[in-house]
Amino acid sequence: MRRLTAMFGAALLSALAVILVDRLGRSWESRVAVLGHSMEPTLRDGDWLLVDADAYRNRAPRAGELVVARDPRDPRRLLVKRAVSVALDGRVSIAGDHVAHAEDGTRIGPVDASAVIGRPWFRYWPADRVGKID
Amino acid sequence: MLTRVLRALAPHATAHAHCDIPCGVYDPAQARIEAESCYKIIQKYNESQDELFRARCIHVKEERAELTKHHIDVMWHDYFKPEHVEKFPDLHEVCWKASKQASQVKRTVDIDEAQKLLDLIDKIDMMWRETGGPKATRLPTPA
Repeated sequence: MRRLTAMFGAALLSALAVILVDRLGRSWESRVAVLGHSMEPTLRDGDWLLVDADAYRNRAPRAGELVVARDPRDPRRLLVKRAVSVALDGRVSIAGDHVAHAEDGTRIGPVDASAVIGRPWFRYWPADRVGKID
Repeated sequence: MLTRVLRALAPHATAHAHCDIPCGVYDPAQARIEAESCYKIIQKYNESQDELFRARCIHVKEERAELTKHHIDVMWHDYFKPEHVEKFPDLHEVCWKASKQASQVKRTVDIDEAQKLLDLIDKIDMMWRETGGPKATRLPTPA
């Protein structure tokens, strides 16, 4: 019985490890560098982020979640912002975190759900600020 | 070697977090004009005996002081960059004091407080001029 539990535990652990490595690997494939100051203090200019490309595959972002999305004004450009609200048609309003900009009320968007690339979830550089982000 | 490692680790895309409309026009004069209004209104308030006029003075001064504070905060949050703080280590201190002084002017009819606010805005103006000034952040005016 004990042996069975141990085996089951080991199987579960390795399954979790596989999922984690898979997620890391996929995120690693879509890693981005932050350019600009509108997401301060959450994200700073020059931060390197891992982006979970599957996060919004089966659902729309919720208000308050970070998103990487194609810029509606120039689809070659990526934006990193926070979802403010999601309309019934699935379009997502996004805005920066910076107080002064938030106060401006200037929002890009809304962006199409299909323009949302993924959710940045981990900062892997700079070394002193490595960690999960949200 | 190190650069090769860094290149391998570096992201292959940039995600823009620029402010949504960075118009790039800044000038502490905007704050100064509102603060001068406060100064003059306080003068007029103290010279007048008319209660209605004095009540209007208080009301308008509070509006102007709030605008002063807004324009100071725009300089502080939007215009000044980390390299400016390196050049002027007391930058945060000055902006913070100026912002607080605007609140002070809002709640008083003491002319000295209004003068203190003008002096602090002049300090911000000096730092703005030393870090680019009108050449960097204003359109040229026709001669």
